[in-house]
Amino acid sequence: MATLTTATDLAPGSTPRRGPARRRSNRRGLMRWIAVHSIALAIGLMFVLPLVFVALTAFMSDRQALTADLWPRSWHPANFAEVFRTAPLLKYLGNSMMYSLLATAGMLLSSVPAAYALARMRWRGRQTVFLVVIAAMMIPPQVLSVPLYILWARLHLTGTLWPLILPYFLLDAFSIFLLRQFFLTVPQSYLDAARVDGCGDLRTLLRVLLPMTRPGIAAISLFCFMYTWNDYFGPLLYAGENPDEWTLSLALASFRGAHQVQWNLTMAATVVVMLPVILLFVLAQKSFVRGITFTGVKG
Amino acid sequence: MTAAPHTTHVAGSSFTRWIRPRPGHWIRPLAFMAPALAGLALFVVYPLLALVYYSFTRYDLLNTPVWVGLRNYVFLLWGDPLARKAAYNTVWLVVVITVLRLVFATGVAAVLVRVRNGAGLFRTLIYLPALAPPVAATLAFTFLFNPGTGPVNTVLSWFGVSGPLWFSDPAWAKPALTLLTLWASGELIIIIMAGMLDVPGELYEAASLDGAGSVRRFWHITLPAIAPVLVFGVINSIILGLQYFTQAVVAASVASGSADIAGSRRVIGYPDNSTLTFPVWLYQQGFHYYNMGYASAMSIALFVVSTVFTVFFVHRLRRASHAEEMA
Amino acid sequence: MRRIGVAAACAAFALLASACGPETSSSGTANAPSADEKVSLSVWSKFSGRELGVLQKVLDGFQAKHPNITVKNQGSQDDDKVAQAIRGGNPPDVAISFSTDNIGQFCSGGAWQDLKAYISRDKVDLNQLPAATRAYTEFKGTRCAMPLLADVYGLYYNKAMFAKAGLSGPPKTMSELFEYAKKLTVLNPDGSIKVAGFVPTIGFYANHVQMWASSWGAQWAGQDGKSALGTDPQWQAMLEWAKKFTDFYGRDKLAKFTAGLGQEYSPDHAFEKGQIAMAMDGEFRTAFIEAEAPKLDYATAPFPVADNKPDLYGGGYTTGTIIGIPKGAKNAGAGWELVKYLSTDPGALQELAHGLKNVPSTVPALQDPTLQKDVHFKTFLDIFANPNLATNPASANGGAYLKSAEDFSISYQSGGVTDLKAGLAKTGTQIDADAQLGS
Repeated sequence: MATLTTATDLAPGSTPRRGPARRRSNRRGLMRWIAVHSIALAIGLMFVLPLVFVALTAFMSDRQALTADLWPRSWHPANFAEVFRTAPLLKYLGNSMMYSLLATAGMLLSSVPAAYALARMRWRGRQTVFLVVIAAMMIPPQVLSVPLYILWARLHLTGTLWPLILPYFLLDAFSIFLLRQFFLTVPQSYLDAARVDGCGDLRTLLRVLLPMTRPGIAAISLFCFMYTWNDYFGPLLYAGENPDEWTLSLALASFRGAHQVQWNLTMAATVVVMLPVILLFVLAQKSFVRGITFTGVKG
Repeated sequence: MTAAPHTTHVAGSSFTRWIRPRPGHWIRPLAFMAPALAGLALFVVYPLLALVYYSFTRYDLLNTPVWVGLRNYVFLLWGDPLARKAAYNTVWLVVVITVLRLVFATGVAAVLVRVRNGAGLFRTLIYLPALAPPVAATLAFTFLFNPGTGPVNTVLSWFGVSGPLWFSDPAWAKPALTLLTLWASGELIIIIMAGMLDVPGELYEAASLDGAGSVRRFWHITLPAIAPVLVFGVINSIILGLQYFTQAVVAASVASGSADIAGSRRVIGYPDNSTLTFPVWLYQQGFHYYNMGYASAMSIALFVVSTVFTVFFVHRLRRASHAEEMA
Repeated sequence: MRRIGVAAACAAFALLASACGPETSSSGTANAPSADEKVSLSVWSKFSGRELGVLQKVLDGFQAKHPNITVKNQGSQDDDKVAQAIRGGNPPDVAISFSTDNIGQFCSGGAWQDLKAYISRDKVDLNQLPAATRAYTEFKGTRCAMPLLADVYGLYYNKAMFAKAGLSGPPKTMSELFEYAKKLTVLNPDGSIKVAGFVPTIGFYANHVQMWASSWGAQWAGQDGKSALGTDPQWQAMLEWAKKFTDFYGRDKLAKFTAGLGQEYSPDHAFEKGQIAMAMDGEFRTAFIEAEAPKLDYATAPFPVADNKPDLYGGGYTTGTIIGIPKGAKNAGAGWELVKYLSTDPGALQELAHGLKNVPSTVPALQDPTLQKDVHFKTFLDIFANPNLATNPASANGGAYLKSAEDFSISYQSGGVTDLKAGLAKTGTQIDADAQLGS
């Protein structure tokens, strides 16, 4: 519970006052303020300047992008149109969307009941199953790639994104794990009350637990969406052979090959691929931060 | 979460339910768990068993697997210098990334928790790179660090420093990948910040009344208090390092100037196999050379190593959940 | 919601059970479709852009002869993707590979079908293929591919730059190549490279060990079939030369230069842009230059040879584009018709040879007067006819040995190896050990 409230505490200005005798010396306080904020500013720049250079290069002319100049001499927004012209980005965008949205939907369908059973039902073997889920979560994706690839090849589903999407409808260990932790934060008394009112497990889950853990659901959905959106290994393995099924990440990786010296176009494509994720973050910043802190402190 | 939806509360109802199970009470949990159990069987247990089997065979996915006994393991341990090189690269990344990521993230978090104006903005700035798809972030970095005209070497040249070749130099490729990983470690920074903000302010007040300076306060109060979060960071970084794939593959492909799709056999590990991580070599063996049997043996090795850390993680988690139940 | 999961799991299990076990490969032949049977054929190749268009034109000719067959021409598909598709059971009907590096893997593993039965059924005369091309399209008696044009490598040099440097003819030995490159290199005021006489970096453009090896007379395997990397002294000579060449420029300076050069198959190719004065390249470059840099004043010649092997001059490295039918192709019968058409029909070969500027892979087509007339191109026809024409041997594990050799060479060239002789011997042993893994 504590962690959930912590996340909102991260809002500006709510940092708890600490340190000695702030009132004693206003001047020392001011110096401190300047010192802390200038270091923070330097750190912030360090993180954001690379992105700025990328964006600036995306607007340069072909020729200038090959020079050491940092600022565009003339602006070429047409580079972005060129990117869309040379590569079927909309198709890749569609594939990425299909992968991410279906996987997220499948994850919710399969993880919610499983997390409920692991968090709120008592049955023999629960601890064991939970440990297996955690173990599954920790297996590096490359470990199982050989037997799974063989499996999907026999089902004639390689060359498509289905081998990546379908498993989400059964199992996403990380989401089950995280969702279970979220479900555990709801006090037992609420569930007992629901039961007294005659709710079965399904109704308790849908009417009580889900509404109370909406932020958690939002967080795991975002994680799942982001993970699949950013995934490179999976699409490379299963869809690499079939350009009709490429996702944005996969297409971006081969984009540079086709446009060797045109750093401006490559960077424009990079911006195009980054933008949706950044927009998503801006729209759902709170859920992100809450989810992240929750993994860290509870996980 | 302000008011309880139901005010009636019968004490002990949960107890009676658990102590005296209704007949067939296991059917419900099973129904709830069915997809996940099927998933575990199909996508975890079956592939693990199959992996063990394949690791004793020669299999190219075209002809039937042929039993070869321990040959793949013998080759992995004694016959394949690239597997050794790949293991070295992965261990290098695991160690360096884990240490630097924790130091760096703790340092940045320690500054940012003191920020009182615009904290939200700073948090967004440091988190943006972590959001970027790894392929995009790696492309951005190979551009920034490109040896000829990249902004980084340009800026270095202002100070009279002749920048290294970064992703094109076997000695600098892994450090460059490390910088990329640090740049994208906003998630860990935010977690550590949250941990720091959880430390009760009174502790600091008390310590400073005792005359402790800020360094000692950080060392004796902050660090112990955020230790659990740091442990999480260590495990998280180790797992990250063990799986290191995308950035290595994309950086190698771009720096080599190859026209092939990233991950093609010619460019893997460029330059001079310095970015050949264990998962990359596993992928190459399995899905370019179609030595599925050998790739399975490599997978088993990776699995064994990652399991050691899993056990550690589970152990810690169980301790935490015990503490929770006690409270 | 759980019903969906269970249903999916059941379906998956059912499919799995029914799809288990290897597919039987057909040893016989599939008949060509009858004239009224509508068939769709997919063809995968690594061609792209202009070259894909040339192929399309030839495919149009095939379609005119077989109106019932629709051909889907898919470009940018390299060997890796074809191999994946074969494993996944969705292969194209016809596959075109740009190199013969993987022929051993294709034939011995059964990834590409044995064409022998088709060839004897249709009485295709294999004697119309030159000996070298006939050899590199089969492996240990299994003919799983037909040649589709050959690539021959030689030297391209910029005549204008040669004139400015006071050089007349092309270099004929490796030492001459080095000396010429020194004279042709131009530096910027800040010391960085403006024009490189020759870029000696292994892995850059067409600089691959197998292509250089033929000009050095370096052997891949000895009498016993084991790797000759450690025993043939030519390997050592070749790499020492390459290292000396790199050190002349300075490794870092050279790397910074090449990092800014255009991609091999783009209009920004450094030779076409006048950024390098000499380069090793295939005959197809003449077509690229004609299309992308028609004003370039250049000439072609056989690639220089090792100083101690002057009699090799005139020969060179050859490899070829090959065409075959993948295992599991849906329309193998119609696929064979296309393979036969592309690899033996004089009209088709001529159009491809002209359009792609590749060396034709049948004896009659080599006599083509149009190709013989092109002075740039004639060089390559002569190299192709030279007895010292060489290629690299096929191996059951494909091009894995090439990667080992090239990795080592690059490592030595960039200063990462102290004992060259021991390193070569170790790499040779490794190549032999790797070959054991897949067999």
